[in-house]
Amino acid sequence: MRDRRQRTTIAIGWLALLLLWEVAGRLHWVADGALPSPSGVLRQLVEDWGDYPPHIWATVRTSLIGFLVGNAVAVLCGFLMASWRPVGRLLSGINVTLFAMPPIALTPILVIAFDGDAPRIVLAALATYYPTMVATVLGLTRIDSRLLDVVRLYGGGRWAALRWVRLRHALPTLLAGLRVAAPNAVLGSLLAEFGSGSGAGLGHYLIGSLGRGDPERLWGIGLVATAISALFYVAILLVARCWVGAQAPAQESLGSQGDAARGAGTQWLITLVAVVLPLLAWWAAVWGLEQAGVSSFVLRTPADLAAELFSSTRPESLASIIGGALLETLPWCLAGMALGLGFALLLAILGTLSPVLERVLMPLSLLSQSMPLVALTPLIVLIFGRDGATILAITISVTFFPAYVTLAQGMALVPEATQDCVRVLGGSRLKQVRLVSLPWSLPYLCAAARLVAPRAFLGVMIAEWLATGTGIGNLLNVARGSLDYGLVWAVVVAAVLVSVLLYLMVTVIEQRVLKRFAMTPVQ
Amino acid sequence: MTVGDLRIEAVSRRFDVDGRALLALDSVSLEAPAGSFIALIGPSGCGKSTLLRMLAGLDQPSEGTIRIGGLSPRTLQQRGALGIAFQDASLLPWRSVEANVRFPFDVIGRMSEADRRRVQEMIELVGLGGFEQALPGQLSGGMRQRVAIARALVSEPQLLLLDEPFGALDQILRRSMNRELQKLWLKRPVTTVMVTHSVDEAIFLADKVVVMTGRPGRIGRVIDVPFERERPLSLLNSAECRQLEAEILQLMFDHENDDA
Repeated sequence: MRDRRQRTTIAIGWLALLLLWEVAGRLHWVADGALPSPSGVLRQLVEDWGDYPPHIWATVRTSLIGFLVGNAVAVLCGFLMASWRPVGRLLSGINVTLFAMPPIALTPILVIAFDGDAPRIVLAALATYYPTMVATVLGLTRIDSRLLDVVRLYGGGRWAALRWVRLRHALPTLLAGLRVAAPNAVLGSLLAEFGSGSGAGLGHYLIGSLGRGDPERLWGIGLVATAISALFYVAILLVARCWVGAQAPAQESLGSQGDAARGAGTQWLITLVAVVLPLLAWWAAVWGLEQAGVSSFVLRTPADLAAELFSSTRPESLASIIGGALLETLPWCLAGMALGLGFALLLAILGTLSPVLERVLMPLSLLSQSMPLVALTPLIVLIFGRDGATILAITISVTFFPAYVTLAQGMALVPEATQDCVRVLGGSRLKQVRLVSLPWSLPYLCAAARLVAPRAFLGVMIAEWLATGTGIGNLLNVARGSLDYGLVWAVVVAAVLVSVLLYLMVTVIEQRVLKRFAMTPVQ
Repeated sequence: MTVGDLRIEAVSRRFDVDGRALLALDSVSLEAPAGSFIALIGPSGCGKSTLLRMLAGLDQPSEGTIRIGGLSPRTLQQRGALGIAFQDASLLPWRSVEANVRFPFDVIGRMSEADRRRVQEMIELVGLGGFEQALPGQLSGGMRQRVAIARALVSEPQLLLLDEPFGALDQILRRSMNRELQKLWLKRPVTTVMVTHSVDEAIFLADKVVVMTGRPGRIGRVIDVPFERERPLSLLNSAECRQLEAEILQLMFDHENDDA
């Protein structure tokens, strides 16, 4: 009974929100009509429907192929890492790069190097890789060790353990990973279209419509892109439901698998290789493209770029151009990230104080996981104009949801008994939050920061590219147009590098902070 | 020496902890005839689980030998002649009751008509007839533990290992499970080694209670339990049983105090 009443309250809340939006849209409350009414969006969508099919088909096709390719590679790598631990250490450099890399940064190079669908497929595949790889490794390794003991007890070896326990055990975790990867694939495909002229695809359509300043149409395109993404998400969810039923994804392992003791020399060697491997991958990619007939005029190896970076043949050295742009970008990135995290923390706290608020926010946040949120930034540009406010708005919007989900989950996990300790002493809800919930969710705050750092950087770059025309994002856009290939490569590498460093920095801070309180990081 | 004789001879086990050798078991020796029920009891860290893992062939002694009917645990593994049940059942969550009980045969790689009948028989024996297709997640803790026992016995092992099999159950359920286990065991008295924390469980089920002491793990004393089988649950309320229980507890307690 109570359940139904709560559901009604939430439904009314959603309905009220929609109504408010409709009124705000009709009366042009926000930025002179930049926020259209839902009915207006739908009307425009129906009107434009004839234009959609080729765009939808192009986006679905490329993201689907990229999804398949990326997952195949990710599952293979995950399998190797789970089977042979040093592989994971050796690939860690590449993995971190692929996680932290802002997908849009690669666009200019992909567009230079490939034709047709290839840039979109490659970017979709790259965006897919990380979540699936992690899920594969976790699924194959985080197993109650006694299940494996039972196999050994009956004389089963590695192969039997894999066949009877590991593979099947990995399935639900893998499917959960695929669910995260699916919207990423759509996002990758959309972002690859941002910098590649005209053609079919929702990304092209979105950029093409941005200039015309038709809010209804932009929102319609955003809606369709989200629908595709959500469709992918739901499809995998359904497969998971049918296939693995109620079985939960991998639980925490019981026996910890300590690292095999190795000499300090070996450790250093492994770390060195891990750092060098991404560079080698870059080198190999350039070599492969040259063999495939791409003009070496547009390609740069690490050595080429290093030489060009400080070369004095340019009026302003590449290093100083990029340094200046980064100085413009980074403060916005840090500010946006701090605001996004702070906002998420605030709402997570309010959510523990008022469960109704959480019940309204949580579905919205989970829904946002299936949205190619970053790709919808043109909408924000329309509302906030073309100055700093837009950068902040975009960065907050791409960091808030994942941070909120992580934090709310952390706060929900605070043990009842610990909270009761405050309650029995007559402590208020607020005191509970201050003394128990907040300290308890510190690892989750750290995890959220780690999760959103690369996203914040991506958000700022997109805002700069599309709206303000400043910083490294703008450089990414301008360099390609000016056919200055040295600059293109330098900007791309700088963007990837900064993003990786940002991520590593947060990781180091996280380790320091958590070590001080004897806590362990959340995966 | 009869077939199935359990012989543990001067078994030690050292672990490498941060470069330092930690002695978990110090020259443990134990002998028992085939078909005896042995309970290992002692404080945490006394090495009883380590000993059980070595009996299961999941871990190897640093020194000493373990023989069951003249064979090493590894050889028994290869022959599918071991059975084990853990504290929280450790069932495969995606397999039905029937498929979980069948699991040993899947790993061993044989499934005769007799084996198939044996699976059904074991399910009936532990009282889960009608639940063949249920998943572990749909069962109560006690029912899951019954599945684990059935799985451990289905391959008719030469040595049965029980690692606190009822440790997660409440006292009432634990006692009735003890009684059921005894019934099962009396039908085919397989050599059994059980690790437990409960003194009355050890007395009720075992022929020999092995009291172990910690740091390093050693056998403090081996106590023969004199009671006839089949033992009724009311035995636990008898004066003799209480006396024995007090004696064992005193042994464990004394050692703890020596230690401190």
